Amino acid sequence: MSNGSLRVGRVLRAGTRGFVIGCTVMQPDIPTFGSFVRADGLKPGSAIFGLIYDVSVEDDPFVRQFISADPPEEVLRDQRENRQVPIEVSVLAVGTSQGLGDETIRHCLPAQPPVTLDWLYQCTTEEIQAFTARFDYFRLVLDAREVPVDELLAASLRVAAVARPEGERETFLVEAGRDLVRLLAGDPVRLEGLLRRLRNL
Amino acid sequence: MTLELSRLTGEVQTMGEALAARERRRADLVALARRWLAEYADQGERLRHPARTASAAIPTDEPLDAVHPLPAIPERFTVIAADGSQIQPDRHGVALYHLINVGSMVYRHGSGEAPEAYSQPAMGYTEADLYEDGLLVAGNLLDVRRDLAEITRLADLSAVEAPGPTGSVRPGRTVALVDGTLILWVLENRSEEWKREKVMAYLDQLRRIRKSGAAVAAFTSRPRRGEVTKLLYLASVNGDENRASQETNPLEHLPDRAIFHDLPAGARSALFISPSSINHDYYVPAGHGVYFFYLNLAEKEHDPVIARIEAPAWVVAAPELLASIHGAVVAQARITGDYPYALTRADELAYVSGREREALTEMVTTALLRAGVRSAPSPKAYYKSLTRRGRRKYPQ
Repeated sequence: MSNGSLRVGRVLRAGTRGFVIGCTVMQPDIPTFGSFVRADGLKPGSAIFGLIYDVSVEDDPFVRQFISADPPEEVLRDQRENRQVPIEVSVLAVGTSQGLGDETIRHCLPAQPPVTLDWLYQCTTEEIQAFTARFDYFRLVLDAREVPVDELLAASLRVAAVARPEGERETFLVEAGRDLVRLLAGDPVRLEGLLRRLRNL
Repeated sequence: MTLELSRLTGEVQTMGEALAARERRRADLVALARRWLAEYADQGERLRHPARTASAAIPTDEPLDAVHPLPAIPERFTVIAADGSQIQPDRHGVALYHLINVGSMVYRHGSGEAPEAYSQPAMGYTEADLYEDGLLVAGNLLDVRRDLAEITRLADLSAVEAPGPTGSVRPGRTVALVDGTLILWVLENRSEEWKREKVMAYLDQLRRIRKSGAAVAAFTSRPRRGEVTKLLYLASVNGDENRASQETNPLEHLPDRAIFHDLPAGARSALFISPSSINHDYYVPAGHGVYFFYLNLAEKEHDPVIARIEAPAWVVAAPELLASIHGAVVAQARITGDYPYALTRADELAYVSGREREALTEMVTTALLRAGVRSAPSPKAYYKSLTRRGRRKYPQ
């Protein structure tokens, strides 16, 4: 599965519910909040799909040295372009595919997490379309703890809508809204907030 | 916590008072050392032979108290730095292997370009990698390999970067910097043949750097050596080595850097020759005899920051090369304040964090599993990993 997709970074820590990857500052297109990503599973050809729910830059005492100084241009460029600034990207696991001829995407937690230092890739447009052909992953997101759930759902739907031809986007979002109505029927205030976000996409 | 800090309170307080008292006594010793430095400044030639025998700093033609101001720092020049780190083989680990990671940086002053940063890991896991002379490559054996990897990296980068005899590739001189010392530290209990082979391999890289046209130097931060103080004491007993070895040297525990705290900002001390036996047995005959000087890195009106710089004979013999390492080290150190920027970054690029070590162990375990080999840490390592992460309680 590790085709020519854009690499986001390498897995630092992993569990079945999600994983954290490390990447450098100058990654050309650091995937943003709500992006779909994919890591290789342990079985050949298998994959774990996830949604980015947090991007954080760790404190860097070395950079602090230069905040009040006037460092030369070479240092500024070194800090910006070369330093292994520890950017951590947190991913919520939302699906898997088995590989070995079975390319069906299942919206469930993976049986095993990805291996440390494995690459994490940004999903291609085709993968996003295939993954969001159904909305079973909503339940995994809604049940996630310590994740900005509503914002994440809205952001992922925005990404999924953009991955579709313009003429199909509205239909796609209406279908997603229907699933949310079913899942959040008991929480009308929250549902209204989410649907309002979808209307504004 | 197993360390009962409360039981150390009194001892730590006493230690603080003792250290403060030692500092006060040290001021008198520094005054004595500086008096001797001025008094015996022109006796270098007479002291050269006894200094060698007594393992004291060996004087050069410069007066002992010579002070050389900071030379003009050119607008364009290049500094290359390399540093290494290693993971020792662990017989309690999932597999027997070692790792050497060399970080390096090419910093082109005045170019406005982003410096080039490199990190080169190399694992050793074959029988040939793991054993040498019948011994597991660990400890000093691995240190020697790391030092050789560092200097080889410097030589490789110098060959690309330095102007060389055929003309300039980049504007300005190139200075190659290594952290610590240029003298390969080899344990005395190794065979002479083995020692020679390693040192010669190191000298080969110094020769490559020389051929490239670059200058090379080693940088020691907060040096603790006391070779100049030993020389001054030797001078105070008229160069009598026997007397010097029998009587107590009042400056015995005073590091050289204390004497040179009064160097003006950016200035360097006189040059001395390292008394190390490896220097005289191998480096000097090969034309790479190691010299050293002390240098105040601080800017004017700042507290002095004294570093020790080593350079081979061919650098100190060429005034423009000597000036280039003097100026380059000060320029580099003043970026951060007191330590060369490129060396800081090379160290960072070489450093293997605890988390990275764990990740590598996990990668090795997975690779073994995929290859059909089931492996695990030894019971000792396993239980250490449990107890050192979990809750701890000291005995009541």
